[in-house]
Amino acid sequence: MIAVLALLAGVLLGLWLDPTVPAVLQPYLPIAVVAALDAVFGGVRAKLDRIFDDKQFVVSFISNVLVAALIVYLGDQLGVGGQLSTGVVVVLGVRIFGNVAAIRRHLFRA
Amino acid sequence: MIDDRGQGRRGAKGFTSDFLTELFGDPLDPGYTDAASQREKTGRVPRSGWSVGPVSLVVIVLLGFLFAVAYRQTVAAEPGRAQARSGLVAQIQQRQGETDALSTRAEELRDEVNRQREAALGGSQAARLRELEASTGLGRVTGDGVVVELADAPGGQDALGGATAGAGPAQVIYLDLQSVANDLWGAGAEAIAINGQRLTSTSTIRSAGQAILVDFRPVTGPYEVSAIGPDGMRQRYEASGSALTMRQVAKVTGLSFAVRDADDLALPAAPEPRLRYAEPAVSSSASSGGDESSGSGASPSPSGGGR
Repeated sequence: MIAVLALLAGVLLGLWLDPTVPAVLQPYLPIAVVAALDAVFGGVRAKLDRIFDDKQFVVSFISNVLVAALIVYLGDQLGVGGQLSTGVVVVLGVRIFGNVAAIRRHLFRA
Repeated sequence: MIDDRGQGRRGAKGFTSDFLTELFGDPLDPGYTDAASQREKTGRVPRSGWSVGPVSLVVIVLLGFLFAVAYRQTVAAEPGRAQARSGLVAQIQQRQGETDALSTRAEELRDEVNRQREAALGGSQAARLRELEASTGLGRVTGDGVVVELADAPGGQDALGGATAGAGPAQVIYLDLQSVANDLWGAGAEAIAINGQRLTSTSTIRSAGQAILVDFRPVTGPYEVSAIGPDGMRQRYEASGSALTMRQVAKVTGLSFAVRDADDLALPAAPEPRLRYAEPAVSSSASSGGDESSGSGASPSPSGGGR
């Protein structure tokens, strides 16, 4: 419950503060969101599996976002453009999908 | 079940042999199971219910913040994109309208100029000018001649291959129009228009992708090549290379090709040629020169007009 409230608080904070993202960071934002989603669903699933771990959650969130940003940056520098980020999105998307399926199994037993 | 896996995985911690299988089989971070088994060993009790530690709370707040910022960013970027697109569309439409208006204006002005010139020159000189304009394609002409009709074979797009092999596609290509125009000039035509596009000394017949461009304006089938010329022109044209070739092509591929006599053809004037580099030579014979500017290699030669 607290977690949901915290998430809401974060959203409200973001809407209220409405920070301007520097142009340098803008390309990283979408992929960071995908990485964060992966961490969130992983965390929710772990919670349902009763193996949630604070440290693991925090570390996976931060490292996911950083690695995703790094890959986007690398892709830009190597000149492969969006293709590396496509790879990131595919991998994270598969993970999100799998975790959501596990969550679904937990919640609906189906 | 998960604990089993955790135990099994701990032996091969770090890299797994088949990342993709792992990814699809169990998308959960292995760290969770490791941590859980660690906890089991040390006997710590996992947090109950939905409570999470303070660090996680901070991260979750951060998450919400990130989502909100990304949402804001996307929403803010969207109108810009839409605006740019609609702006471009509006610009295109506006420019097209301007072009239309300008070309009608040019038409009017040209008529006006003609009137004024005739008023100023009067008599034989005006008549001579009219004649020159007619022969160079800058003036409307009327007369008897022939009309060559070409049309794509019905449903021709899928006829590539099979029966048409060796005879080219079952569509009229720009080379057909070129050779027809050239042979009409050769047969004595004095004025030619393709679908109402008058050919001049600098006219081009080219292809651009699927379209055929005559003087950089697209023409679409069925094509009608009208030519004004002497009485025997039809017989001479029928004996020419392009007529024979096109008949053969028509027989094989099914595109239609027909030549007919036509009376009282009215061919429009060509747009004013824009000579950017060639300048008329200032000499006494300038009135008969002026055709020095050569078109591209694809242009039909007006000098073949058999006069």
